[in-house]
Amino acid sequence: MSEEILKALTQLFAIITKQDGGVTENERQFVINFFQQELDQDTIKEYLVLYDEYSGYNKQGKGDDEKNKLTSVKDSVKTLGICKKINKTLTQKQKVVVLIKLLELIGSDKNFTPQRIEIINTVSTVFNIGQEEYKLVETFIIAEKVEDLNFKDVLLVNSAESKSAENQKHAHAHIEGQLVFLRVKSVDMYFSKYLGEQSNMLNGFIMQPNKVYLFSHGSTIKTQGGDALYYSDLVAHFNEEIKTTKLSFNAHIEEFKFPNGAIGLRNVVISEGPGKLIGIMGASGAGKTTLLLTLAGLEQPSTGEIKINGFNIHTEKEKIEGVIGFVSQDDLLIEELTVYQNLYYNAKLCFSHFTEKELHERVMNTLVNLGLDQRKDLTVGSVLDKKISGGQRKRLNIALELIREPAILFLDEPTSGLSSRDSENVIDLLKELSLKGKLIFVVIHQPSSDIYKMFDKMIIMDTGGYQAYYGAPVEAVTYFKKATHQVDSNRGQCETCGNVNPEQIFNIIESKVVDEYGQPTTKRKITPPQWHDMYRTRFNVSPVADIKEAPPSTLRIPSRLKQTVIFTTRDFLAKLSNKQYLLINLLEAPLLAIILTFIIKYKSAPGGKEYVFRFNDNFPAFLLMSIIVALFMGLTVSAEEIIRDRKILKRESFLNLSWNSYLISKLNILFLLSAVQTFMFVVVGNLILEIHGMTFAMWLVLFSTSCFANVLGLNISSAFNSAVTVYVMIPLLLIPQMILSGLLFSFDKLNNIISTKGKVPLVADFMASRWAYEAMAVYQFKNNEYEDPFYHYEREEAKADFKTAYLADELKKRNLFVLENFENKNDSVKALVAHQLTILLDNLRNEPFRAGFEKINIEEDFTQLKYTKVKGMMLDAYIEEYRKHYQKIYNENVNLIEKKMAFYEKSGININQEKNTYYNESLSDLVKNVSVKERLLEYDGKLIQQINPIFQEIKPTSVVDYRTAFFLPEKNLLGTTVSTYLFNILVIWCMAAVCYLALHREWLRKLVDLFGNMKIPNKVTVPFRRK
Amino acid sequence: MKSVIIALAATLLLVACGKTKKPDEQAFLNSLDSAKKGPTIDEAVINSILEQIPSPLEISVLLKESGTKYNYSLLNSPDNLSKYNSNFKKAINLGVYGTDLGYTNIYQQNKDGIKYLASIKSLANELNIGQFFDIETIGRLATNSKNLDSLLLITTQNFNSINHYLQTQGRANLSVLLLTGGWLEAMQITCQVASKNPKSKELREKIGEQKIILEQIVLLFGFYKEDENMASLLKDLTDLKAAFDKIKITYTYKESSMEVVNGVAVIKDNSTTTIDITDADVQNISSITNSIRTKIAN
Repeated sequence: MSEEILKALTQLFAIITKQDGGVTENERQFVINFFQQELDQDTIKEYLVLYDEYSGYNKQGKGDDEKNKLTSVKDSVKTLGICKKINKTLTQKQKVVVLIKLLELIGSDKNFTPQRIEIINTVSTVFNIGQEEYKLVETFIIAEKVEDLNFKDVLLVNSAESKSAENQKHAHAHIEGQLVFLRVKSVDMYFSKYLGEQSNMLNGFIMQPNKVYLFSHGSTIKTQGGDALYYSDLVAHFNEEIKTTKLSFNAHIEEFKFPNGAIGLRNVVISEGPGKLIGIMGASGAGKTTLLLTLAGLEQPSTGEIKINGFNIHTEKEKIEGVIGFVSQDDLLIEELTVYQNLYYNAKLCFSHFTEKELHERVMNTLVNLGLDQRKDLTVGSVLDKKISGGQRKRLNIALELIREPAILFLDEPTSGLSSRDSENVIDLLKELSLKGKLIFVVIHQPSSDIYKMFDKMIIMDTGGYQAYYGAPVEAVTYFKKATHQVDSNRGQCETCGNVNPEQIFNIIESKVVDEYGQPTTKRKITPPQWHDMYRTRFNVSPVADIKEAPPSTLRIPSRLKQTVIFTTRDFLAKLSNKQYLLINLLEAPLLAIILTFIIKYKSAPGGKEYVFRFNDNFPAFLLMSIIVALFMGLTVSAEEIIRDRKILKRESFLNLSWNSYLISKLNILFLLSAVQTFMFVVVGNLILEIHGMTFAMWLVLFSTSCFANVLGLNISSAFNSAVTVYVMIPLLLIPQMILSGLLFSFDKLNNIISTKGKVPLVADFMASRWAYEAMAVYQFKNNEYEDPFYHYEREEAKADFKTAYLADELKKRNLFVLENFENKNDSVKALVAHQLTILLDNLRNEPFRAGFEKINIEEDFTQLKYTKVKGMMLDAYIEEYRKHYQKIYNENVNLIEKKMAFYEKSGININQEKNTYYNESLSDLVKNVSVKERLLEYDGKLIQQINPIFQEIKPTSVVDYRTAFFLPEKNLLGTTVSTYLFNILVIWCMAAVCYLALHREWLRKLVDLFGNMKIPNKVTVPFRRK
Repeated sequence: MKSVIIALAATLLLVACGKTKKPDEQAFLNSLDSAKKGPTIDEAVINSILEQIPSPLEISVLLKESGTKYNYSLLNSPDNLSKYNSNFKKAINLGVYGTDLGYTNIYQQNKDGIKYLASIKSLANELNIGQFFDIETIGRLATNSKNLDSLLLITTQNFNSINHYLQTQGRANLSVLLLTGGWLEAMQITCQVASKNPKSKELREKIGEQKIILEQIVLLFGFYKEDENMASLLKDLTDLKAAFDKIKITYTYKESSMEVVNGVAVIKDNSTTTIDITDADVQNISSITNSIRTKIAN
């Protein structure tokens, strides 16, 4: 209290007491007592002189009525001035105390003259204390009979069974006389006063009868009858909300085992009703956080159960949905969003039934409650790049849980790292919430005295998960003092200041045995099990009766679709506000495109004078690189997504939100990003490399690939625990994509175990890169402006050419072999003959050209048994006809192409110019497979055409046979022929869909967990063994 | 939202731009109906004529022996390859390149030879006669000047077998074009060399001798009048023939006599062929040849 205020108070005392008959000895004594509480011995005198001067003590008999009246007017003015001064500095709570002191002052001699009362009344008005409340306080102090105290803010404690007045509250205790408690509702303060003869102890000090005491947080009154009246119990009587909240919390954890077998908790019993603030303390490693996690249902006890309103929180989760809130020690904020947005989207996910206005109000209310309203538009920022202070972060973390007002709230060290003021604010807030009927568990470290006393109960854990204490906080100090037979064990708090030192408790619990030299040893005087047994014998936790109804929950989860929208908007805003992320991700693609295309663009035209797209030998490699870029961008952008959100997901796990909605929201954003990235890549790349006419087609393929990579990335993101692991995974996923893309290593020249001639190896079919590459290459070749009008003819030409130039010869050769050897009796020759016949049949069976062969049923007439020389000769002749027939077709098509070219040239189109712009020689060599040496190959009993895959026809063996050689223009999709471009894009999307399913079911995560849980024998090997 | 719209607009723009309007397929098919079909020509006739035409490589050998220096600029640049899109152009220039390859090889200019090899391989592939070129073997031979003889043999054999193959395939027109191209290029080189050595009687006579070959070629082209490209070339060749017509080749027969040279009996041919060719003729032929060659090569 400042000198100024004390002076003001002294004046106020003086003014009041000098009215109507002047100062009595009693009154002066009261003032002296007051000074004694506030001041040291020397200054008391100084102030007493001041008081005497103002009050006119020792100047008795001088006053006449006339003068009295004058002074009273003067005094009134003075009083007003003083009160205004006080108003500026004292809090409302302090003002209430002052008011009570004033009333007590005049009550000390029962000299209640109207003028005195008048002045006090004025004071109360200036102090902004409500008239009703003033009346209540006045009555509380003046009244001598409890019957007069007919107010609902009064609690009477006596040995009687019923209350003395209608509106009073009443509690029973073994006490003589009356113990009266008063609540001043506006400031939420409690005062008590004892009317009787007994000497009761308030916080270890004797209560003077008829004297008003401030009944502060954590106070205890011990009656002579042996009852202990705790603050929290008494205060609960005033609280209507607690009475109406239906909540019971019964936990009995017999044992909690860690995965490694160590025991984390033993025989912990906790039973609570609504409206309690419960602290959990203990040395580090005592199992505080484990206890909190177990109570919150995040960890399951090995034996034992936790029930909320009779519902087991592990087995009946759906019954207690939204009842539990958990604030972990970590920051669970979305760093890119503002304070307001963090809360807003959280609220939106909790209250689907709220209108926008209600939501806004709810958020603003919470912000105001936590003193964050001024900071609402600040971005939260990361730990390194702080925008709001640590205390504000902590409060925001709490706010995120508070906003949905869960009935039971668990907080893990909400005050760690906060200033003492911030800590007090946080606990104050929690206290207020508990008074609203919430049950709150808080793990707390080194609380200040004030904070410590605010708790309704304290659970003290000892090393090894033993419960050492569970009860009123201040009691804990006396309990442990008593248990170790310390002096002054009755006093929990300091005599003069009322401070409690919670450290004392741990000093006692952990005190060590001292050796003969006075050095403390590592051995404890009392071991944790001993403390636990001691606690068990002294205290008995009686379980709270299970309330048989659903616990209160305000949660209304929005529909899955709405959740998706909320998640998406939230994530989108977060990404938008992260300028660095946005910039890098948007610039990455065009930058890579520029680097890549700039490097591979050279003077490609023959003669090396200029760049012509047609002669750019790097084009096929560019297509592959663009796929790798799409995959890489897709993976990197998604790989961290879930890991980064994991903490937030943990918090939201209490809400039981839809995993699917969450994932879809991720995909929405990632796909959008992929679309933009690949689009920019394609546009920039194609502009520089002068690739025309395939921008959209290329984009669609790259976009699909990137989307697949997004889903794949999310898979690894959800499966692994750290971003580093995830980034290490990326090459593991990317490099096979490169190896099996079909360009770097020819599918014909792979390890024999995996490769099949004439078909893309099955392993490669699992690579998105291979599908994407084929799609783009085939599309570019087939659909480019130049090739498009000729493709059909060239295809016919190529097919006919293959038959005349290669196949006919091959068939003839085989027929000749059969002709020469079909009568041979040698088994191995017979087998060869049969083999050649099969090949012949295979190739002629579906042959549409049948001239001179119409009447012969190939299947039946050319079996090994029925083969005759005549038939062989016939076949030979037929093959010759066959060759001639296709030769004709070939020539016709060549002619047509020739004519078409001439036709175009005539209509003013420069064919060569077109070819330079749209056609790429390198790619055409690739898809025509011109470099292959064996154009026709026998493999696995079949003749396989190796040349010109781009002109081949598919020959599916069944409806589901989709496999072909690389670069075939079409694919078999369940019996219908679909262009390779379309088919491959479909395949990529199917792969993405499968990945999504895996993601949704968390297959990869489960697999990783399976490996993670494998026990590695814990043997210690001695590196050097001495003999 | 705005950016999305801009992006979409840009896509449309990019997809839309760069498209030249082509006549549709139907227009082309209609034009086909009006084209008349030419008569089929007996392959034996073509064959007999083709066989009378000597390999153009022989001219190159003569050039080398006459002592003229290697001149790359006389040849058709292998880079022109990309300009040949129709089979007509491809075939005729395959012939041209064949002569050029022979020329470079005779002068042991392997560096240039390899370029021609690549172009030849490429054209041959496109004409579906790639199987006649074992590029690795040819390449190996070409890089070593000592293998000149083998190379010459292989290339000559190749041209022969290609001719044969094309004829069996009913694509004899390509054979004609191939040989014409080869011959024209040989003509071109000879003419160019001759214009630089106007006094060389040998070269002038060599040019004059070609009159007989040209007559054969023109005869062959006569079979393909329906083919627009060939008809147009025929017109040029006829012009060239007109220039050649001014040259008189007189063949004087004298009985052969037998002489003993170093104790060996040798039959001596006493017949002589005289070729009357003026400078103006040479110039005229050179310029016409050059213009035809330019048309073909570009």
